[in-house]
Amino acid sequence: MSFVAIDGAGYAIGNGPAIVEDIDWRIGEGEFHCLVGRSGCGKTTLLKLAAGLLLPTSGSIRIRDRAVSEPSAEVGFVFQAPTLLDWLPVIDNILLPLSLKRRVGPQDRRRAEELLALVAMPGLGARYPRELSGGQQSRVAIARALVTDPALLLFDEPFAALDAITREELQDDLLRLCGRGGTTMLFVTHDIAEAVYLADRVAVMAGGRLCHDLRIDLPRPRGRDVRYAPRFTALCRELRRAMDGGAVAAMPLDAAS
Amino acid sequence: MSAPGTLRTGTTLRARAGSVLLLLLLVGGWEGYCRLAGVPALVVPLPSAVLATLWDGLASGFLLPHIARTVAEMALGLGLGCAVGFLAGVLLAEAEGLRRLLHPYVIASQVVPKLALGPLFIIWFGFGMTSTVVITALVCFFPLLENTMTGLRQVDPQKRELFRMLRATRLQTLLRLKIPAGLPVILAGVRVSVVLALVGAVVGEFIGGRTGLGASIIAAQGMMDSTMMFALFVVITALGMLAYQAAVLLERRLLRRHPSNQSTNQPTNRQG
Repeated sequence: MSFVAIDGAGYAIGNGPAIVEDIDWRIGEGEFHCLVGRSGCGKTTLLKLAAGLLLPTSGSIRIRDRAVSEPSAEVGFVFQAPTLLDWLPVIDNILLPLSLKRRVGPQDRRRAEELLALVAMPGLGARYPRELSGGQQSRVAIARALVTDPALLLFDEPFAALDAITREELQDDLLRLCGRGGTTMLFVTHDIAEAVYLADRVAVMAGGRLCHDLRIDLPRPRGRDVRYAPRFTALCRELRRAMDGGAVAAMPLDAAS
Repeated sequence: MSAPGTLRTGTTLRARAGSVLLLLLLVGGWEGYCRLAGVPALVVPLPSAVLATLWDGLASGFLLPHIARTVAEMALGLGLGCAVGFLAGVLLAEAEGLRRLLHPYVIASQVVPKLALGPLFIIWFGFGMTSTVVITALVCFFPLLENTMTGLRQVDPQKRELFRMLRATRLQTLLRLKIPAGLPVILAGVRVSVVLALVGAVVGEFIGGRTGLGASIIAAQGMMDSTMMFALFVVITALGMLAYQAAVLLERRLLRRHPSNQSTNQPTNRQG
């Protein structure tokens, strides 16, 4: 049984054209999937459908065989912007998901400190968001998403605004984090290399539809060197070709040559 | 922020010294012109006479009950107006239907000259403190209403989605996201209200007061005592500047974590 099962899902506002349509996708438990596509292709909408922030207007989305009808406690979401609360110190930002549900105890604080160390920011819990760099803010956002131990984590281009070096560091951290538990990940990005580096499987989206599906057979754990391996480049090229093909779907198929 | 701090302290000090110097020049020029041209005290009194009257009024205790009354009216009106304005703003920001229903009335009430209602309040509440407090509360109400509505509604949509994702209740979203996030806009409304509260209290006393700085201006006018009127202007101006500074300090204290605050802060004041 798949952990996430998307069957013929579509979303439209009113009677307008569908923003996403006819999406069929399966994510097995503990897998890391990426969704790539150009801006405006509907990938964020698909992610919000999976999160329960939007409800599909056709088809269905099921997580652990239960239809998604609202945001669930076992699903975490990392937004495009870090969305930290500026008036709370880092530690309280990480504890926010817990403190909205119950009183936070000392063991919760210990857990938050642990997470902070895991995202390579040990001891910075008393800082305020505005005292952090962009990369550090993204790290805190990831720690906050992890504090509830979600079974499924959804990422909406969380590293898009960071410089290339910081982005690579955060990608490595993310791989390290998801190597620990059996958290299932769905990661949206427009960066082809990022998708290939992170994912077990990559879906390419264009015009609101999935147009290509590629299994990434690079060995894990993946380190810096993988980025320069010929196989990595070949996979990137294949994805790039699929994206170009997707953009001119109505054209004859000789566009690739 | 620390490196350019000393530099800024220097420029701020110089700017302040400049302001004081300008004041001295203006007052000196005024004094000199009035003495040389022999302007009658009824038209424009001498600054030295104004200061003497002011000092007399303070030292003899004559002005103190009036100051106390105006300050009390200002504080009560400000508190009442801000509290009601804030609550109404929260209500209108949260209840979309209500907001749409009442929106034209909110706009209409903005343009109505609130002080023109003063005579009516005297019929309703009689002469004295109540009328003035109600007028003051009314003029303070609208900036808070408007700014609370704006502040609560302009919260970053992604943060609102975060709270939805975390399954926060409506009350939690209001208390833990919208109000803290909207605080800079809400406090800007408080700052406007503070200034208006003084206008409300003084003008309220013009219409229906027996005690208070506004009532004293009317009394001084009756006795053709321009010098006293000028002395009262000085007191009112000082009161307004004090209240405004207090509002700015409160704002700075409450917003020290907000990133937008960095630009409006004068770092020199925080280093002392």
